[in-house]
Amino acid sequence: MEERQVVLRAEEICKTFDITKAVDHVSLQLNKGEIRGLIGENGSGKSTFVSMLCGILKIDSGAFILDGAPYAPLNQVDANYHGVSIVVQESGTLSGLTVAENIFLGKEDKYVKFGIKNVGKMKEDANRILKSYGYDFIDASAMIDTYDFETRKLVELVKATCFDLKIFVVDETTTALSQSGREELYKQMKRIRDEGGTVVFISHDLQEVLDKTDTISVFRDGQYIDTVNSADMTEDDLKRLMVGRELDEKYFRTDYTASSMDEVALSVEHVSVPGLLEDVSLTLKKGEILGIGGLSESGMHELGKALFGASYNRSGTVKTGEGISIDSIYTAINSGIAYASKNRDTESCILNQSIRDNICLPSLSELSGKVLISDKVQNQFAQEYAELMSVKMQGTDQFVSNLSGGNKQKVVLARWIGKDSDILILDSPTRGIDIKVKADIYALMEKIKAKGKAILMISEEIMELIGMSDRIIVMKDGRFSGEFERSELLSEEDIIKAMV
Amino acid sequence: MSEKKVAAKKSSVIQRFGSMLFPLIGLVAMLIVFSILTKGRIVGGRNLLLILNQAYVLLIAATGVFFIMTIGGLDFSQGSIVGVVGIVIATLAHYNLILAIICGILTGGAIGLLNGFMNVFLKIPSFIVTICAMFLFRGVCKYLTTNAPVSAPLSIMDYDIHSIKLPITLVVLVIGYILYRHTTLGIKIKAIGAGETGARYSGIKVDKIKLLVFTAAGCLTGLAAFINLLKVGSITATGGNLIETNILIALVLGGMPINGGAKAHFSTVVIGCLLCAVMNNGLVMLKLDPSVQQLIQGLIFLAVVAITTDRKTGSAIK
Repeated sequence: MEERQVVLRAEEICKTFDITKAVDHVSLQLNKGEIRGLIGENGSGKSTFVSMLCGILKIDSGAFILDGAPYAPLNQVDANYHGVSIVVQESGTLSGLTVAENIFLGKEDKYVKFGIKNVGKMKEDANRILKSYGYDFIDASAMIDTYDFETRKLVELVKATCFDLKIFVVDETTTALSQSGREELYKQMKRIRDEGGTVVFISHDLQEVLDKTDTISVFRDGQYIDTVNSADMTEDDLKRLMVGRELDEKYFRTDYTASSMDEVALSVEHVSVPGLLEDVSLTLKKGEILGIGGLSESGMHELGKALFGASYNRSGTVKTGEGISIDSIYTAINSGIAYASKNRDTESCILNQSIRDNICLPSLSELSGKVLISDKVQNQFAQEYAELMSVKMQGTDQFVSNLSGGNKQKVVLARWIGKDSDILILDSPTRGIDIKVKADIYALMEKIKAKGKAILMISEEIMELIGMSDRIIVMKDGRFSGEFERSELLSEEDIIKAMV
Repeated sequence: MSEKKVAAKKSSVIQRFGSMLFPLIGLVAMLIVFSILTKGRIVGGRNLLLILNQAYVLLIAATGVFFIMTIGGLDFSQGSIVGVVGIVIATLAHYNLILAIICGILTGGAIGLLNGFMNVFLKIPSFIVTICAMFLFRGVCKYLTTNAPVSAPLSIMDYDIHSIKLPITLVVLVIGYILYRHTTLGIKIKAIGAGETGARYSGIKVDKIKLLVFTAAGCLTGLAAFINLLKVGSITATGGNLIETNILIALVLGGMPINGGAKAHFSTVVIGCLLCAVMNNGLVMLKLDPSVQQLIQGLIFLAVVAITTDRKTGSAIK
């Protein structure tokens, strides 16, 4: 590796939440003119680390040295003044403001004279900048709300990169973008590097990290592990560094034949939801993993809700193998149907609630005596299933809001395993979850299948569908557009063809 | 590891009892301050009974509002319910007292049900619904008392004794506590407050429980109206005025999280109402001008809210 100039030195950076050490004495260097990947499992501290770098969180102890001078940003705007900016996964633009106001957020002072903001000048500058990026179709004076998510993301990208940058942080942004949006982002990352800036790139997609970065730093359990050259690495090497041990060879299912029992677990006939689902019928067998794929707006997420009795205004019938008709969440749960939503934080679990209550809620009637419910019974139940799922926690009293994404999903699964549900509807079960927990979830799904229970897995990840499903149904515009049996020969292209 | 476990246990203990501890310290501190200012008169036996006497109505009605606030709602209709139900009971008590009490509780329940219906099915935020209900029934109350206050038979004052009011209040509090802490209903109510969508997706019949909570709160306020009538004997146009505000102040002083949810403790009801009663009583004993009393109450309320509000909830920082 050639000698490069150092732009930032982090020295013994620490950050603690309650008693969790999120970032533990991290020291590392960033060089000028490189794209640095940052990888690690959920909760390994990489997001916390860059949050401190960009002024979103305060440092507990340690110091950043930026270009030889101590650097402790007060907030994001202050970080911008020092030449450090970030784009994140969620929407980072403010509704109710124009595009120009969003781009110059926190830098309006430039345009204010005698207390009056020069809107015209601001708009003009914004339009010029947009044009230099090639985004002529965005109008600087339009309200940001008039644009879709993708375009707003571009505005955010402009906002974060339109000034003199020393360090540009991309935190899990690509998962929220379409292919063309990603290309734009990669283009800006390259430009910044070529102009001598530094890009810090965080992603769960290891292939993407390998392709787009020059060097990669690995985090594990809040600690900095190592920095490696991207060119010398394979995906498996990275996994090993992240997990800190050899991964099992087995990840997805290793058998390539579709299998299920003859008994029907769930039969769905002529189900429609206005504007979302159109006349959908399917049969789910016991012991079967049925994968549902498609684009995000194909109606597949609504299908999960419809089968769980959670859709508004659904028509058609959903019946369990025992012939019970499902028309509300209450009957669904008590007929043995479980549902893990894509919206984990609002629908799958209750964030501001203890792990114990989250696990016990669906099973309350089984846990309760005639009138009273005992604390001891609840504690034991929650403890048993949280431990079964190996949830990383301080105790079942801990609130779910403090857990990482992977651990939240484990709590969600724990409640349904505890309920002993026979039919599991899992919508995007591994979304935003690191490989170790992913492998755990896949193993769990196989176990559930072996017990003769049925799984309906809705997923946007094609490899996951091919790897785990006995049968895959692809959806498009609210209807089924293709069906595939499990087979060794099934390829990604086959599925994508049916999706678009 | 063991060190971590101890720390975890400690933090969970603080989490569980912390919100309960501060209001309790506040209550003791307030008693001490007023004892000094009144040269001990406030803790005299007869005065303590007087404070208790002032707290009964508040304690019973606040139990219902506690459940409403736990599901994340607010209720401003209590005072007007006390007024209207007071008129119902006072009128019917001329015929049969038991019948009067039952009708009173049912009237309160009906108003609560109406509140719940508007909140659940018309999806109007509960504080708006109940403010409307407050104006509506305050109006009804004024209309019915235009010519003269509605008086209960004088004999009703015979029941204005601690040996009747204390057991009723205790029964309400004990049932409320058991319901909240040791039944599935209590856990479900808490879950709704912590996250309504999540609760619905856990199979909780959210609408039904909300209706139940509003109706039950109405019934309890109906009962509180009876206790109130025992003390005052007749209802005027302003009967029950400001009770809703006193309840809210009591609950917030007692440590109730404004957004409801998992951090609500039933102890809030008892500590908060006693705090409120002690404060009112103490300020009267100091013979302060009523306007100055209100000013001080406002300042104390503001200070407590500023100190205890949980600013983290709602904006989970990761």
